[in-house]
Amino acid sequence: MTQRTHAARLGMWVFLASEVLLFTVLFTVYADARARYPEVFHHEIHAHADKVLGSVNTAILLVSSTLVAAGVHALKENQRSRATALVFATVVLGLCFLGIKGHEYIDHVHHDIVPGHGIFWTLYFTMTGLHALHVCAGVVTLSLVARTKHVIVLENAALYWHLVDVIWIFLWPLFYLA
Amino acid sequence: MSRSILLTGVGLIALWALSFGLSFADLGHAGLPVALAIAVVKATLVGAIFMELASASASIRFSVLAAGALAALLIGLVVADIEMRDPPPLVPPGYDAAAR
Repeated sequence: MTQRTHAARLGMWVFLASEVLLFTVLFTVYADARARYPEVFHHEIHAHADKVLGSVNTAILLVSSTLVAAGVHALKENQRSRATALVFATVVLGLCFLGIKGHEYIDHVHHDIVPGHGIFWTLYFTMTGLHALHVCAGVVTLSLVARTKHVIVLENAALYWHLVDVIWIFLWPLFYLA
Repeated sequence: MSRSILLTGVGLIALWALSFGLSFADLGHAGLPVALAIAVVKATLVGAIFMELASASASIRFSVLAAGALAALLIGLVVADIEMRDPPPLVPPGYDAAAR
């Protein structure tokens, strides 16, 4: 590995570490709110959270992470067209995620559930909204680097996408399952 | 697609299905801890295999550990702050309802 490649990869990880700290604050606020008002969280999750849509979105991100990892591997094997196809498939799945998320938000608004509608929904819109912004950034970034011939460029974009996936892996049980 | 990537993907979907299925079972207070434990396993798989942390250099692992340590410090200080707060008054201090 060249020094430049290593520096690029390390720089990306330092950035990802800062993103982890950003979401750590929000997860901590969630933990405190849930500890104080467990019955509120339990009621809102079971009454209004769409478990099926949330679970479909989780599967979408897990598959997309698999595809982008395969895309990076293909580029390392010098299979550029295969890598590009896998990255664009990841982008499509990312757009599907955003579409489902948007549908959920619209449905919540139709039921008069908006940011500020109690601690649970304020946290829901804040955390999933911030996550959705990150998904948007990931979709744009992957679209821009889908045809790159430089492995490190695609690797770094994929790292960002995997972090977005990991964050949702934890958001899913907190807002949909339990 | 490399074998490890494919197997990890299959494993992630299997864990997703397990989480989804268990969410319909009445696990009581264990529901959230079980769901989060499965989430930790999934996140570990993504980090170790997809993000290649398992084979990363020492400097990259150090940055991950540093993030973890700083996150633990952040969580600890936030929790300490919350625990040491006075309970909020039911009305704003100095508010005199009779005078209005």
